[in-house]
Amino acid sequence: MKGKCYIQGMAAISPQQTFEGDLFSAPLVHTDSNLLACMEPDYKPFIPANSLRRMTRVLKIGLTAALRCIQDSGISIPGPIVTGTGKGSLQDTEKFIKEIVTYKETALNPTPFIQSTYNSVNGLIALQQKCTAYNNTFVHRGFSFENALLDSMMLIQEGTSHTLTGAFEEITAEHFYIKSRIGFWKENKTDSRELYQHLSPGTIAGEGATFFTLTGQPSTQTYAAISGFKMLYKPAPGKLSTTLKDFGESADLIITGRNGDSNHEHFYQELDSCFPGIPQFPFKHLCGEYDTAGAFGLWLAAQIIKAQQVPRQWFPQQAVLSAPVNSILFYNHFYGEQHVMLRLERV
Amino acid sequence: MEELKKKLKEQIIEALNLQDTKPEDIDDNAPLFGEGLGLDSIDSLELMVLLERQYHIKVEDPREGRKILQSVQSMAEFIQSKQPA
Repeated sequence: MKGKCYIQGMAAISPQQTFEGDLFSAPLVHTDSNLLACMEPDYKPFIPANSLRRMTRVLKIGLTAALRCIQDSGISIPGPIVTGTGKGSLQDTEKFIKEIVTYKETALNPTPFIQSTYNSVNGLIALQQKCTAYNNTFVHRGFSFENALLDSMMLIQEGTSHTLTGAFEEITAEHFYIKSRIGFWKENKTDSRELYQHLSPGTIAGEGATFFTLTGQPSTQTYAAISGFKMLYKPAPGKLSTTLKDFGESADLIITGRNGDSNHEHFYQELDSCFPGIPQFPFKHLCGEYDTAGAFGLWLAAQIIKAQQVPRQWFPQQAVLSAPVNSILFYNHFYGEQHVMLRLERV
Repeated sequence: MEELKKKLKEQIIEALNLQDTKPEDIDDNAPLFGEGLGLDSIDSLELMVLLERQYHIKVEDPREGRKILQSVQSMAEFIQSKQPA
C-alpha cells in the first residue's frame, strides 16, 4: 500500500487499563488462566440505558471504544465506518443457536439473531451518531482488521477526509473450550507475564475492541503516520525474511505479535535474524491472542511513537528507550497463516 | 388474575432485561410502548416470543398483537381468555 494516512484519534478497551487513566503508569494486568478478558468500562456515559439492556459484551465494548475514539479525534460525526472482526458477537451467536435447539426452531427471540450478525457494531455506531456514509465490516480471520485498514487507506487515497476504523473481538467460555480442543491454547496454565519464556504449543486467549480515526492530513494531535502496509498469506520459505528486510530497514523499534506458541515461533525468529539489535516489544502478554489483536498492537505502537516512551510496567525489562523512535515496524501473524507488516512514522 | 399479572411483570422484566425495574414499578394499565415502560418494536417481538414460550399462545395477526400488548392488564386478559376453562 502506497501513500500515508494519519492516526488522529484512537481508543482501546482491552484486558489492560487502556480506556481511562494514564497509560504510562498503568499497572500490568496478568493472568494464569490462559485467558485475558477485557476490563469493561462504565458504559452508561456512552450508551443510553434503553439500548444497553439489549446489548451483549462485544457490542458494548465495540460501540463504547468507537465513541471514545470519535471524542478523542475531535471529529464530531465520523465519515465511513470500516471495521474488522473474526467472530463478531459470539455470545449472541451461541444464544441463538442454543435457542434453535431448545425451542425446536420455533419461538425464536429476534435480538440475538440480529446482534449475531458481524456488522451489528457498525450499525449501532451509525445509528447512534447518525452516520449515513459508507459502512462496512470485514470478516477474514487474522486479516479482518487489516482489510478494514486497507479499505480505509484506499478511501483516504481517493479523497475521503477521515474514516472510523476499528476491530472488536470477544472470547466466551464455549469458544475458549472449542479452540482448546484444536490446540489454540497452551495445555498448562501459564502466567501471562512469562508468556515468552514458556515456549510450548498454543498461546493464551484474549479479546478487545480498538478504534482509530484515520485522516489524509496530519494535525497537531496526530499520533502517528501509517506509511507502509503489507499482508502476506502463508508466505513461501524465504519470502517473509525478504519482505521484512525491505519493509523495515529504517525501523528504530519493533512491535511484534510474539505469543509463546512454539508451533509458529520460527516466524518471529526470522524477524530476529533480520533486525539484530533493534529493540523489540511483544504485546500478546497484554491482550492475548485473537483474530484482530493486530489492532491493539497498532494502538500500542502509535502510543509509543507519539509519547516517545513505553508503558514502563508493561515492559519492566526494557522500560526506557535509549534513542528517539522515528519509525516503528509492526509485525504480527495469526497462527502462521495471515502475516501483517505495518510501518509507523513519527509526525 | 392478580397472580398472573405479577408473574407476567416478572417475565417481562427478565425477557427484556429491564435492569432497574421492579414488578411493582409497572402499573397494570400503563402503556408498555412509547410512554410507560418506553418499549420499542423489537421489544414487541420479544413479548410475542414470551407469549409463545411461556403460555404456548401464538399471535398470528399483527393487528391483534397491538391490542394485546397495550398493557400488562391487556396481556393478562388475553392470556386468561386462551386458558382452558
